[in-house]
Amino acid sequence: MTSLTLSLGPPALIKLHDALTCLSKFSDTVAIEAEHSVLRLSALNSTKTAFASFVCEKDSFFESYSFQAHADGRGSYQTQSQGSERFFCQILIRALLSIFRGRVDRNKDTAVERCEMEIHEDSNQAECRLTVKMICGLGVIKSYKLTYEPAAIQHAVFDRSKTTNQWTADPRFLKQIIDHFSMSAEQLDICAEAGKATFTSFTTKITEGKEVLKYPVHTSVTCDRKDFEEFLIEENMHIAINLKDFKAVVAHAETANATVTARYTLPCKPMQLAYEFEGIRAEFTVMTRGEVDGEEVSSARAVIPQLSQRPTATAPATTPAPISLRRNETPRVAPSTEMPPPPVRARSTMDRPSASASMDFDSLFVPHDDDRQWDEMNDEDEEEPQDILGWDASGQETFEPVLRDIEPDFSKPAASRKGGDSDEMGLPPTQRMSQVRGFGLFD
Amino acid sequence: MRFRTQLKDTKTFSKLTASLSSLGKVCWMRLEYDVVRFTIIPDQGTQVWAQIPVDTIFEENTYEMESNSEAINIEINISNLNRALRSTFGSSQSQLRLTKKDKMPLLALTVLSTDWTEGNMALATEDQDQSSEVTGDRRARERETRITQEIPIKILHESAVDGLHEPHCPDPDVHIILPGLAQLKSISDRFNRLASTDSKSKFQQTGMVGAVESSTTGANSNSNAPTSGSGLSSSSGPKLELSANMHGKLKLAIVTDELRIASVWSALVNPPLDPAHISEQQLSQLPSERMRGVGEDDESGWAKVRIDGKDWSRVLSVGRLSPKVVACFINETALVLYVYLPGSWNGEESCLTYYINSFAA
Repeated sequence: MTSLTLSLGPPALIKLHDALTCLSKFSDTVAIEAEHSVLRLSALNSTKTAFASFVCEKDSFFESYSFQAHADGRGSYQTQSQGSERFFCQILIRALLSIFRGRVDRNKDTAVERCEMEIHEDSNQAECRLTVKMICGLGVIKSYKLTYEPAAIQHAVFDRSKTTNQWTADPRFLKQIIDHFSMSAEQLDICAEAGKATFTSFTTKITEGKEVLKYPVHTSVTCDRKDFEEFLIEENMHIAINLKDFKAVVAHAETANATVTARYTLPCKPMQLAYEFEGIRAEFTVMTRGEVDGEEVSSARAVIPQLSQRPTATAPATTPAPISLRRNETPRVAPSTEMPPPPVRARSTMDRPSASASMDFDSLFVPHDDDRQWDEMNDEDEEEPQDILGWDASGQETFEPVLRDIEPDFSKPAASRKGGDSDEMGLPPTQRMSQVRGFGLFD
Repeated sequence: MRFRTQLKDTKTFSKLTASLSSLGKVCWMRLEYDVVRFTIIPDQGTQVWAQIPVDTIFEENTYEMESNSEAINIEINISNLNRALRSTFGSSQSQLRLTKKDKMPLLALTVLSTDWTEGNMALATEDQDQSSEVTGDRRARERETRITQEIPIKILHESAVDGLHEPHCPDPDVHIILPGLAQLKSISDRFNRLASTDSKSKFQQTGMVGAVESSTTGANSNSNAPTSGSGLSSSSGPKLELSANMHGKLKLAIVTDELRIASVWSALVNPPLDPAHISEQQLSQLPSERMRGVGEDDESGWAKVRIDGKDWSRVLSVGRLSPKVVACFINETALVLYVYLPGSWNGEESCLTYYINSFAA
């Protein structure tokens, strides 16, 4: 039996509505995860290039919040080794939004005074229902029962400690930049040059040669670094993100009146846009694209060895949450098929300490030294694999024993990569060629 | 080929492009030494030929135009240009120039904006959580922002535009200065709404699903079916009847089976015709002079055109430039509007000419 009971006051209800509106720009469904101290609402877009998450703190956001989970239920929860239980499910955002829309009109007698939500999941009960009760003025109580469904919930993992580029800005300032872009622009390139930041909108869509006039307008806005509250960006490094995602973030940050901080490392690595306000932590992890040319690599090189030490800021931990899969026969993502192992690289193991198996597995996906392998496909279509983030289905950045179950899948490429240093053979050589010369066979 | 200029009056330029873009996206822009011409010839509906003196929108002393054919012909998506011009609001300096990127011709608009905002990021005092992280300069100050808008264009060879000429029209039967376009538009739009509710219910008879919005009955035969089916498709609206006489009267009317409404303006001005368009010896034999002779109450003194309501509404969007408009009625044939920008009322060169065909009754 798992149960979640919470209640919200009108201000929190508005914030919840705003958050859901923002999430609806990423996906049709919202993933709800309950833990003992937080409630997390998240959405992952269909191309898996953007992940939006709002973490609502138990004490500061909710009027009351209680969560109990017991392992005997059949629900979508997961028991961690530390003993922190979680429950998760997903709901159509539209269904939730329609409940909250326009409910907090102070001028009406029947304005919502409190909102209570409950989930009880019991193995004896066939239904999956989220009960929402709107306690309104004049004793009106509106009850809604929404169907939720179990899901394998995935998180984009972003390690802030590895951030090499960071800027913070007022969302209204960012909004003013966005206002210059044409409506049809799809991508946003961010670059710092000589103390200035340049935001450029562009579109990668290939247009018919004849239809020149349908080409999108390129807009670039250059502003002074003083317009940012914080500005620590590597010069001349171009990094591009989806403009629609950026707009969604800025629009919400503006309503929340919270300054946005962007953190990232290199092109083709995730960027995180984050802000906090009144009991909510908003984090948006989006995939970036861009090019790393020779010069940039050399300047970026300085930070790479450190970054390679362990599962990096961008390294996805792909744990396919086994418990949730039990109920979810077609998981939304099988991460291992999404990110193809990189081609055999000679350099990749060079400056990495002999890490544990799980760390090797991590770096296999996004080894920092292997940046260039992604470069050629940069100007390709958005569905390119390099745009796809790796996902941690557990939401935990620790590695559970589960991981080892799938470890053998990756041992082969890892082995061949080590061998790739000296020759093309699939297995590591046991003898030097010079040692076997003279026996006739290798002459 | 070279073109570079500072923009002078970006508000007017922006309003001009906004009005033009309501009629069509593709605009032929012709840069000459003294004037800039904008022409939009949509597949259907009204065409507009605009002629703007260089110094109306550009800084004349910075205007550089070089071409071996004495003009540069550009095809541009006018709504892109309009959108880009929005970036110039509140700017200190804007430059427009012809350039190239990856062999693609571009019209690049560079805007330098020094007082972009008040610069006052008041957030520091409002948001306690963030205040510790503040490192930037948050005081009100001058910001300098550079915005570049690169609009893809097509360069048209002189031979490509040779065949394009303004339509030739018969001499007008009536010419009259239109009343304020804002008023004219709001009344036209109201008439449109009334008539389109009517036509919507006609669709319902043919099986369309929707809420009944009018009391139309099955007896309603489509009086304007031949015209509404003439290819204007979704952009087609109800037909307005616009008529005027040489005694300062203008009538806007709409007639359907259900309703018949008309607004009449009187005491408008019938200006003398522009000698540039009508030669001296013709003047006495002009149909408009004959119409002037017809008595004020005589029906035959009126010239009437039937125009598409939605198209008319798009034409009237030029009202944002608060121009003076001379309407020339060619009875049952066409309506030609000469739209003069404010400040150029006497100058013949700053003028937008709209050619609107009359639909058959």
